[in-house]
Amino acid sequence: MSIQEKRVPSDLALSHRSWGHSGSFRAMASPCELLINSEDESLAREMMAIAACEAARIEKKFSRFIEGNPLWRLNHAGGKASAIDAETANLLQFARQCYRLSDGRFDISAGPLMALWRFDGGGIPAAADIKQAKVLVDFSLVDFDYYQLQFPSGMCLDFGGIAKEYAVDRVAYLLAEQWPTISVLVNFGGDIACPVSKEADTPPWQVGIENPQRLDSAVALLEIRQGALATSGDTRRFIEKDGQRFGHIIDPKTGYPVVKAPRSVTVLGPNCVTAGMLATMAMLQGEHAEAFLSEQEVEFKCFR
Amino acid sequence: MQLKNSSNISTALAIASCSLFGHSAQVYAGDDKQDDWKVDAAIMYYGEQDRVQAVEAIGNVQKAFGDESLLDVKLVVDSLTGASASGAVAQSQSQTFTRPSGDGQYETAPGETPLDDTFKDTRVQVSANWAEILSPVWKTNVGMNASKEFDYFSLGLNGGLERSFNKDNTTLVLSGAYTFDNVDPVGGRPVAFSSMALRGDYDSEEEYRAAFAQTRMEGSNDKKTLDMMLSVTQVLSRRWLFQANYGLSSVSGYMTDPYKILSEVDDTGTTQRYLYESRPDSRLKHSFYMMTKGALDSGVVDFSYRYTTDDWDLNSHTLETHYRYYFSRRFYGQLHLRYYQQQAANFYRPFMMAGEPIPDYASADYRIGDMTSYTLGLKFGQRLSGGHEMSYRLEYYQQNPENNGFDLVGQLQDHDLFPEVKAVIAQVSYSF
Repeated sequence: MSIQEKRVPSDLALSHRSWGHSGSFRAMASPCELLINSEDESLAREMMAIAACEAARIEKKFSRFIEGNPLWRLNHAGGKASAIDAETANLLQFARQCYRLSDGRFDISAGPLMALWRFDGGGIPAAADIKQAKVLVDFSLVDFDYYQLQFPSGMCLDFGGIAKEYAVDRVAYLLAEQWPTISVLVNFGGDIACPVSKEADTPPWQVGIENPQRLDSAVALLEIRQGALATSGDTRRFIEKDGQRFGHIIDPKTGYPVVKAPRSVTVLGPNCVTAGMLATMAMLQGEHAEAFLSEQEVEFKCFR
Repeated sequence: MQLKNSSNISTALAIASCSLFGHSAQVYAGDDKQDDWKVDAAIMYYGEQDRVQAVEAIGNVQKAFGDESLLDVKLVVDSLTGASASGAVAQSQSQTFTRPSGDGQYETAPGETPLDDTFKDTRVQVSANWAEILSPVWKTNVGMNASKEFDYFSLGLNGGLERSFNKDNTTLVLSGAYTFDNVDPVGGRPVAFSSMALRGDYDSEEEYRAAFAQTRMEGSNDKKTLDMMLSVTQVLSRRWLFQANYGLSSVSGYMTDPYKILSEVDDTGTTQRYLYESRPDSRLKHSFYMMTKGALDSGVVDFSYRYTTDDWDLNSHTLETHYRYYFSRRFYGQLHLRYYQQQAANFYRPFMMAGEPIPDYASADYRIGDMTSYTLGLKFGQRLSGGHEMSYRLEYYQQNPENNGFDLVGQLQDHDLFPEVKAVIAQVSYSF
């Protein structure tokens, strides 16, 4: 395993519970949590260290906000080809599949548009700015194979729509590989994976889903023994103008947030990236989100 | 605003996500199938100035069966129209020729090179090849091909064995092919050196028909070709490789072109009659080929030289180079230069002199005479999304036939007996 960053973040917290241990730390601008079905404290600490390192590694590599990191270098190649590693190639491959399956509406090159919609009270961007930004958004111009990547100068890639879910899955699989009999629930800000089933004679893991109307209390409790779930929603980030609420899911085809999208969508899936992408695609469907998810034959919960 | 194939998305995503974590390879294998197929389609135009025009449609399908086997099936359909040089010399007066079928005539204006304008054909070619990797060092392939046009049928079998040595840096290939051809000329096969019957020399249609029949033999004729080739490829460095081939080809059977004639002229260079040509019925060819190919920083270049020689004494030298430059990862341009020089077959003669004894073999087909030719080509290729590729090719091809030492008598000196042939080739290809 490629754990390059051995330095364990300092904000690790671990506490003993009736069913094992619960640990928390912060990464990727989210509270991260591990629920470990084991009484062994040193083992729980070891798991926490692995999780925190892996999350930090992925954040360092793929965050759009770290100057000089691998993603920054790709985004500043000035139209020239850059060498990429297998992990980046795999993520790009997955992003391309998402781009195709969503008919071009999930686009990791949508950064310039996202930057306009800052959701920090700045109001609605000017139509001309949106038009200008849209020119730089087109994943079909991103050319890559297993070894290198090239896209026109001015464009930039943003793995924000996949990276957190990817980190959840990576951490969950790393732990499951090393301890295939211990059930661990990995939860990074509501994106969750639990590959090893919790034993049948113990209660399942319980996960709360936020009510977008009342942000501090969990409105629904989901029970999960094994699998993954992810949430996409505008519960915290939105712009309201003239009574219309603009959510944080931007449709790159229009340049504007999707209208009549649910407040939030939670989807259960085989792993977190799949669940997360289904949730995002459902949001992009606007008023048809529920119909779309029903067709997918997955368990889901939409708040409107 | 519905997404495409909505109900499959969750499955497709789940499969795609597997590659992220490098396990569940067995699930991924199902998704890989799309990449097993490779389809190429192309349309090509070949046009000679005032002569042959051809349009060719090419379809090629490759299908991989696992990592070890590859099936390649190719279909080519082409349609030829226009005129080709008959072999007769230009004259100061107009000339009349009987069509190969014996039905009707065509005329050539004074000073013009006689062209047989009855040339029209559609050809269908099919080939299939199976390549199999037997072990890390042994590979093999077998194939067959068939082609059919109005007066011609060809069937061939081929096979090859490849062995790599020296950590794959050296490759040795031995291959062989056997081809059977059958030609059934329009109007029958001409009797060698028989004189062309012309309707104007006879009083009645019946007499003409009888005379024409005298110049013809019944039935079709066969040709058999056996080819052997030994090839060595050597990797020289990280960027350069070198290849050398030796080929031996033995042909036996009917190699005369049933539509080609020779003019028999008198001392003034004036045509007395037209004789049907005749070529030997066996030919042994050797070819030697060397090629080096290099990867540049943003391009690929190759140079090659070929020498061929045979027992007809037809020797040729070919120099060729391709230079490809990648303007970006999606777009390349390619320059193609080719120079070809050939020395005439020993029985080639541009015409025959009246009164001279008839040789064993003779042909005035400029294609086996002294000649130089060159090709200048440009190609552009564009990679589209989804691994598709589009390419465009435009080439200029010029043949310059030359006199190989025959004294031109009388009026023949006034005419261009060795006219240049200029052609343009255009091709558009799409692969997906």
